[in-house]
Amino acid sequence: MKKILSILSAALIITSVVSAQKLDRSKRPAPGAAPEIKLGEIQSFTLENGLKVFVVENHKLPKVAFSLSLDFDPIMEGDMVGYTSMAGELLSRGTKNRTKDEFNQQIDFIGADFYPSANGIYAGALKKHQEKLLDIMSDVLMNADFKQEELDKIKKQTLSGLQTSKDNPDEIASNVRSVLVYGKNHPYGEITTEETVEAITLEKCKEYYKTYFKPNVAYMAVVGDITLAEAKPLIEKYFAKWEKGEVPTNKYRTPLAPKETKVAFVHKEGSTQSVINITYPINLKQNNPDVIKAKVMNSILGGGSTARLFMNLREGHGYTYGAYSSIYPDELVGSFKASAKVRNEVTDSAIFEFNNELKRMITENVTAEELEGVKNYMTGTFAYTLQDPQTIARFAINTVKYNLPKDYYANYLKNVAAVTIEDVKAMAEKYIKPDNAHIIIVGDKSVAESTARFSAGEKVDFYDTYGNDYVEALKPAGEGVTAQTVLDKAILAKYGLPKGKALDKKLGKIKDLTVKMNASIQGQSISVTRYQKAPNKFAMVMAMGTMVVQKQTFNGTEGKVSGMQGNKTLEGEELEDMKLSSVMFDDVKDTKHTFTLLGIEPIDGKDAYKMEKVSPTGNKETEWYDVESGLPVKAMQVKESEEMGGSMVITSTFSDYKEVNGIKFAHKIGQSFGPQALDMEVLSVEFNTKVSDDTFE
Amino acid sequence: MRKILMSVALCAGIMSVQAQNKIEFEQYKLKNGMNVILHEDHSTPIVAVTVLYHVGSKNENPERTGFAHFFEHLLFEGSENIGRGEYMKLVQSNGGILNANTSFDRTFYFEILPSNQLELGLWLESERLLHAKIDETGVETQREVVKEEYRQRYDNQPYGTFLPQMFKRAFVEHPYQWMPIGSLEHLNQAKIEEFRDFYKTYYVPNNATLSIAGDFNKPQLKKWIETYFGSIPKGTREMNRPTIVEPIKKEEVRDVIYDNVQLPAVMMGYHTPAQGTPDSYAVSMLAQILSQGKSSRLQKSIVDEQQKALFVGAFPFPTEDPGMALMFGITNMGVSIDDLEAAMDKEVEKVQTELISDEEFQKLKNQIENDMISQNSKIEGIAESLADYAVYYGDANLINTEIERYMKVTKEDIKRVANEYFRKDNRVVLHYLPKSEDKSATEEK
Repeated sequence: MKKILSILSAALIITSVVSAQKLDRSKRPAPGAAPEIKLGEIQSFTLENGLKVFVVENHKLPKVAFSLSLDFDPIMEGDMVGYTSMAGELLSRGTKNRTKDEFNQQIDFIGADFYPSANGIYAGALKKHQEKLLDIMSDVLMNADFKQEELDKIKKQTLSGLQTSKDNPDEIASNVRSVLVYGKNHPYGEITTEETVEAITLEKCKEYYKTYFKPNVAYMAVVGDITLAEAKPLIEKYFAKWEKGEVPTNKYRTPLAPKETKVAFVHKEGSTQSVINITYPINLKQNNPDVIKAKVMNSILGGGSTARLFMNLREGHGYTYGAYSSIYPDELVGSFKASAKVRNEVTDSAIFEFNNELKRMITENVTAEELEGVKNYMTGTFAYTLQDPQTIARFAINTVKYNLPKDYYANYLKNVAAVTIEDVKAMAEKYIKPDNAHIIIVGDKSVAESTARFSAGEKVDFYDTYGNDYVEALKPAGEGVTAQTVLDKAILAKYGLPKGKALDKKLGKIKDLTVKMNASIQGQSISVTRYQKAPNKFAMVMAMGTMVVQKQTFNGTEGKVSGMQGNKTLEGEELEDMKLSSVMFDDVKDTKHTFTLLGIEPIDGKDAYKMEKVSPTGNKETEWYDVESGLPVKAMQVKESEEMGGSMVITSTFSDYKEVNGIKFAHKIGQSFGPQALDMEVLSVEFNTKVSDDTFE
Repeated sequence: MRKILMSVALCAGIMSVQAQNKIEFEQYKLKNGMNVILHEDHSTPIVAVTVLYHVGSKNENPERTGFAHFFEHLLFEGSENIGRGEYMKLVQSNGGILNANTSFDRTFYFEILPSNQLELGLWLESERLLHAKIDETGVETQREVVKEEYRQRYDNQPYGTFLPQMFKRAFVEHPYQWMPIGSLEHLNQAKIEEFRDFYKTYYVPNNATLSIAGDFNKPQLKKWIETYFGSIPKGTREMNRPTIVEPIKKEEVRDVIYDNVQLPAVMMGYHTPAQGTPDSYAVSMLAQILSQGKSSRLQKSIVDEQQKALFVGAFPFPTEDPGMALMFGITNMGVSIDDLEAAMDKEVEKVQTELISDEEFQKLKNQIENDMISQNSKIEGIAESLADYAVYYGDANLINTEIERYMKVTKEDIKRVANEYFRKDNRVVLHYLPKSEDKSATEEK
């Protein structure tokens, strides 16, 4: 392996590029010769007790850091989830030689950083304090003193912390993700809850510390203003006494991606955004030769602010502040995750775009330009991370820990450069699985139903904040209320009469109906007019000034949609549905739809009966009827639309009911379709104005 | 052409550890008034190109808040020679990383590039300064993005609205009353001409500091800087530099906010002097006594011994004009908010009445020494610090000497500032309570 000096080469790159010519700003400057990236030197030795030590010299700042990491198979915590991290915290609560206060005082006095955890300790300070720091660190490793009183404090803090997590949509998403992706009987699927915290015992924490904090499973990185000659006797002095021991090994079954895509929803009160995670486990260990290629693939998809997801969801649609994806290799089981936080009303549109981008990775080749850009980016960021001397230590430890080829990091950039367009596609085919994913959403439940279409079973599974199944709490509709009574009440409320001859007579007098509405869309004012003529002629005309933007008609047998995008004659199911919905006063005359009462749910703070309405062609619609007034207040349906490139959700709201000739009409109608919203205001409702049959052609 | 070369005078007599790690730099001005600072470091083949514009939310029209931050978004949309969306792509696909941030006082842009792409960085930044693209499409897209940023940062985060709620009560006259993210309504109302005016006013070389650190050849770099930036005309419009002084509070301001939180929290904001003033260093050390490290007073007493808080801290919030020092505490389960507030007050009172010990004072100094050295561990951090020191204090060399200002603070100073600024009539206190405790809401029904 050839190591090159970067310092010299960098100084030589730039020679005689300067010119006195006028600058042509339209030309992007050409890069100089690529600087050679040199990995820093690493030296290592092993103590008799098995502690492997790596030393990276870096004399830029008078600082030294000692970081110890333990390497053993993850363990299941069972009914005491959280105890290993509590054991980690207890490490900084005093030793047999130092009380907790003395320990804290001594660390702070030298301005040191000291972070113990379940899997090791990081300690750093100015070089002049290094001996003091090592003295404390070795004391903690060998003589930690776990006290019940301190465990109780940590438990109390943890329980309070769990309270605040309940408001944090990211933590909720992370919990549910753990459970769904890995399963509760896998160490990565265990979740800390109030119950598991209460169950934790001091004995368990002590046992963990005694069993797993052993030099023979530990790596020590010594990084900074120190030489090997200096480090070796110091480490000997402070850590040779640390006794080795047998550390248990563990094996786990490998979690699998779901057979088909599922939607998991957690309702969080007051959400203004939905947190979306599209995620599943993958079989990708660190030493798998796919890793670099898979990372290149992921970088193109969602690795940063020029990747496809970001460009689509943020820069293209403005749905989010950021959209990303990541691929994590892991010794036990890796994972893929694509995520964004989007405003409530575009939740389904955003998932739709995510799916498009995931599928595109599999079906299409990436461009040479994209691939080149990502390679450059990975090369550049690799060089950037070398600024931190800890990186070199990490490389050395990873090489041993994950059983990587010895020259893995030395060849890293060469292997990045070798990735081809075909490799990227192969990696996408292997690791991108939009049809085997968990789509996890934390947000307001009003948007949940719009996401059902993304699950293979077309349903949403609800979970609580800890990933337990949760049955959506629809209130029961109450004694004696059925779908029929709800519909009857709606008719009575709207027409002032129950179904029957009197009502038929009243409606029979109405030959035609014209409803004029005004709406604004993106600041433009448009007029919307709805015409209906007995028995089942229907027309809806949208116009901007005198220009007709869109027209939808049904003349009793034929249905058409015409507009600026062209004309279309309705056929098949679409025509059948049009035929049904064109019946004047269809709510009274309807016999073709079947209704099911689901329960009571609040709409804008007022209780409403939630009903499912299914057409003879199988199209489903959800409707809500106000419990108090009986009137319909909201409707929602999913429409397939080729123009939109797939399905989209259409929501309508009805309010401000006013009586016209003895019939109540909603005078405010809101409609949203995908990310678009339209608020319509009814200007007039007219009867029997002799609407010409031509209107419906 | 006359370049003002400010060779750096070495300050002798600093602590030995400082001399060893002195940050060398060169500073000069271009003819058009652009400030240039260069720090050479060849240890990694990367270079940080940064530009600081001395415009933040405090320079905004009160009817058009959020402009400075909005520009941080808008100015990635492209320029006459850079297509829409290409800005980020050019940096990343050439191996670089980039970002920007906006504060009350300034806007800061940076790229970290492989050293052979230095000229690209200069071109990109000069394009941003000379003729950025400001059109309806860009404004529309970024409006939506900023709205999402708002939701993510404030609305959808527990306690996320603490800062805006605090500053709007603390400042009634001074423009620190609004956050850099500003008002979404103002951004919606603003016309394209207003954005263009703002750009022409503040994005001018005489309001910019180009600070570059890393692996470069200095003579070559200086020629490039002249080529890319030297020809950009100086700005002529008047910049809004508010001189308004926030009137001194006569009594404590206190309020309750009901939010989607589970645990009650308290935030206190005390009016304190501007950054860089002698007292600001004493205030910063006071905050350190209270909450830096586990042996600090709030941690030891309130979190550990009394177990009243899940989290508690004190933070100076450095600003160019007189600003605030903040204290923030989240109650442990079952602890009342008043109880936590009283415990925090008690710790402040102790500093007000008892002089701190020599040992504790030495601890502060050791911590500062560690912090000051650690802040120079990355080239981008060095470039940013140099620019900040140059713009705020007119002395970039404070990167080497600011520690002396801390060392001048005495134990008596700390006690004095605790009494002078951490007064009840000089503060705003906010309580955050769970919505379920909002009695007024239920009574209304």
